[in-house]
Amino acid sequence: MKLAYWMYEGTAHHGVGRIANSLQKVHAVFHAPQGDDYVNPIFTMLERTPAFPQMTTSVVSGQDLAMGTVRLPETLRQIEAKLQPDLFIICASCSTILLQENLQVMAESAQTEAEVLVFDANPYIMQEIVAADKLFSLLIKRFAKKTPLTDMPSVNIIGPASLGFHVRPDMIALRRIMQTLGVTINATVPLGATLDDLRNLPAAWVNIAPFRELGHHAAHYLEDTFETPTLYDAPIGVQPTLKWLKTLVAMLNEVAIKLGKEAIDLPHLTKFSLDGQSAPSGVPWFARTADMESFSSKPAFVFGDATHTVGLVKFLADELAMPIAGAGTYLKHEADWMREELADYLADDSEFLVTDQFQDVAKRIEDLMPALVCGTQMERHSCRKLDVPCMVIAPPTHIENHLLGYTPMLGFDGADYIADKVYTTATLGLEKHLIDMFGDAGLDYDKSTSSEHEQQTIHHDPVTIDSTITWATDAEKVLGKVPFFVRGRVRKNTEKFANQHGHQTITADVLQAAREALGG
Amino acid sequence: MTNIIREDGAYHSFCGLTCVGWLYQKIQDSFFLILGTHTCAHLLQNTLGVMIFAKPRFAVALIEEEDLSKQAPELESLIDEILNDHKPSVIFLLSSCTPEVMKVEFQGLADSLTRPELPVLFVPASGLDYTFSQAEDSVLQALIPFCPEATEDDPQEVVFLGSVNDVIAGDFQLEAEKLGIPIAGFLPANRFDQLPRIGPNTVIAPLQPYLAKVAKRLKRQRGATVLSSLFPFGPDGTRRFWEDLAYEFGMQIDLSEREARAWHNISEHVDLLRDKKAFFTADNLMELPLARFLQSAGTEIIECSSTYINKRFHKAELEALEGVHIVEQPNFDRQLQDIANKQPDIVISTLATTNPLVGQGVVAKWSTEFAFMPIHGWTGVGTLANMFTKSIRRHAKLDPLDDDVWRVGIMPASIPVIRE
Repeated sequence: MKLAYWMYEGTAHHGVGRIANSLQKVHAVFHAPQGDDYVNPIFTMLERTPAFPQMTTSVVSGQDLAMGTVRLPETLRQIEAKLQPDLFIICASCSTILLQENLQVMAESAQTEAEVLVFDANPYIMQEIVAADKLFSLLIKRFAKKTPLTDMPSVNIIGPASLGFHVRPDMIALRRIMQTLGVTINATVPLGATLDDLRNLPAAWVNIAPFRELGHHAAHYLEDTFETPTLYDAPIGVQPTLKWLKTLVAMLNEVAIKLGKEAIDLPHLTKFSLDGQSAPSGVPWFARTADMESFSSKPAFVFGDATHTVGLVKFLADELAMPIAGAGTYLKHEADWMREELADYLADDSEFLVTDQFQDVAKRIEDLMPALVCGTQMERHSCRKLDVPCMVIAPPTHIENHLLGYTPMLGFDGADYIADKVYTTATLGLEKHLIDMFGDAGLDYDKSTSSEHEQQTIHHDPVTIDSTITWATDAEKVLGKVPFFVRGRVRKNTEKFANQHGHQTITADVLQAAREALGG
Repeated sequence: MTNIIREDGAYHSFCGLTCVGWLYQKIQDSFFLILGTHTCAHLLQNTLGVMIFAKPRFAVALIEEEDLSKQAPELESLIDEILNDHKPSVIFLLSSCTPEVMKVEFQGLADSLTRPELPVLFVPASGLDYTFSQAEDSVLQALIPFCPEATEDDPQEVVFLGSVNDVIAGDFQLEAEKLGIPIAGFLPANRFDQLPRIGPNTVIAPLQPYLAKVAKRLKRQRGATVLSSLFPFGPDGTRRFWEDLAYEFGMQIDLSEREARAWHNISEHVDLLRDKKAFFTADNLMELPLARFLQSAGTEIIECSSTYINKRFHKAELEALEGVHIVEQPNFDRQLQDIANKQPDIVISTLATTNPLVGQGVVAKWSTEFAFMPIHGWTGVGTLANMFTKSIRRHAKLDPLDDDVWRVGIMPASIPVIRE
């Protein structure tokens, strides 16, 4: 047995929730204790969903177990009456799976109009990513039907899902590219898709499956069954995007020839820029400018899922000329593929770290002390302690990865975003030379990145504003208990209050009266 | 007698493990060890926003596939690791759903792990039986044997029950001293070795409304008196609390002026709360006293739901809420319909449901916030009132969200497909 402090991946039933919350008219039902409902707020809070996520915990309580009560059929009936979903996905949780109940029989006894899919998301065998991918493949296999190809060139975007890393801006980036190419998007699955979209997947000329973590198995099935050619690469960085575009156009044109349709041409690259008349990405020139020189001696360590880690290592090395100090992943099942992809970028295998223990990653970073870390939210925290610049490039997501602005990882736009992020995260060129030479001149450089705990120790209380008023020891003691970040304000307000009420000395009593009068 | 309607418990909330989030910070020399699964760890890191700065003083002893077939969990080496890394004075061993289903004998397990210098205390907290704030009750029950026994000869003293932060604790201490009420301490104290003595002359004054069982046990095992009053929230509750507590100590005091002053201090808030309609959907077990405060401020309580209600422990609150629609273990779908029909001005709801409610045009506020804010006693009155009015004011200030276009694409499962 081991102690777990933190997890890179969510649970299997969280993975199921991500698929259900992506699809329209599909509802996940967790046959689980009340506590397993915690996955619900992850969606409503991180994605700030203005509607209820399509998942319900059909509660199993200690009393239900003792009495043999099974609420699942009634739950299904209640949801059906309210929402009329087309499909129920039902799974057990880590505790209820041990009961070895037949969920299929239980679910069927509800006799719902909606189809029912009982998914064996065994949490002792799989976690979030594998569970989501397996369920998604099952759905594709169940619903995709032979369909005539569309008249015009079209693609499916396979793999984006609810709570995906920067998924909303990535979809904007891909839609922009398709618009520029004049290619229709037949379906985006599972994000926002209906079951009809799943049924109609084989109508697309080409499948785009940019994420190793979700959709490759489904895309392979579509390729094998319906002969839909599939582009599996992730267009991360400028050159990979160019290559990806050319491959896509070639794949589409192969279909065009078969169908006797007109071939498409790759438009002039300026057409891919935001205004349609500029360079599609600023990166190639930016990387050559003088102040980027210093980046060629800034070693970077990259850790995350498979897609983003591999994409980032190549981008930093190939397009910003940065040395790679090491890389790694928490996805053990992707390690072999990643090793192969990164063989040319790492000196030897010891530079590649495979672990799901964040302490191991923190230790590696501490050993390397790189100039830049690209990691998950956990590495961001580890790096704060080590005072190493860190940017977040991979899930698990955090509220700060669900921002409003256009922050794609894919395509030309993504390359610009990532390059900007690298530039603003690492300590800058000339500025760094100055600091190295002369110190930070007492400017408290980088204090903003220190953790809350550290801030406590560097904080100094402001001096008393009114020298005619004295603080009694007991009042000082109470004040000391007030959180440091509001202490100054409480001190000032209390002195104002004491002045108004003619107190020369602030006792604990006066302080309390002031806080009462001023509302805390 | 107030009528309590009981429904099927199909509500949204968290399990008892969430109390670790504040208790590990409150009891500074403790360690909270959860025997659980990946799910428990994922819950803790997500729901409480507990990102790890250093190694926190809580962790999950992870049950993995190979552990399912074992006779008993082998935790001895983990205890060594915890002792080495954290040097706690006490380890709380929390149960969770999976080992409950596996029928792990927790009491025996905790006893076998206990060392002379390090007690390991069993805390029932599983999501099969315990919700959100409720497991604090289990933690405090586990601490009872370590509270020194006061005797018949010891003086009459008060013990404040429930974890509050140091500032609030200081306020209650000061107030008690002013009233001449001798204090034995707080349960829990900041440290395991500072637990208060408790005996037949102790008056237990509950500060939190989710501690019915520990109060009952202190009465039964130590012969302590449990104060039956309102909980010290709002001017009305705080006045009743101190008057009733003083009465236990043979003093009849009248805090009516104090209460009036407190109401006066929040008059701006009260003006806003008067004649508004509020709805509590059930989550943190603080619903009864919060609703009672709002009612005293002139708000109409459309519904006050709570996950568990204890008729004895919550007696005074229930009496104060006479005539209000009170539901235990509510059904959230039924609540949604009632919210749509009755159009409350503010809904106090869970982390899971607040944003979707706001999406339906409802002014909704996180119930969880109340569990983490200094809203107790006289000094908490302003904070408490502001919690409610802040939401109402903020939503009134913002432009009306009168065009669906502002929400297009935000809900992944309902991204409109625009087909040309």
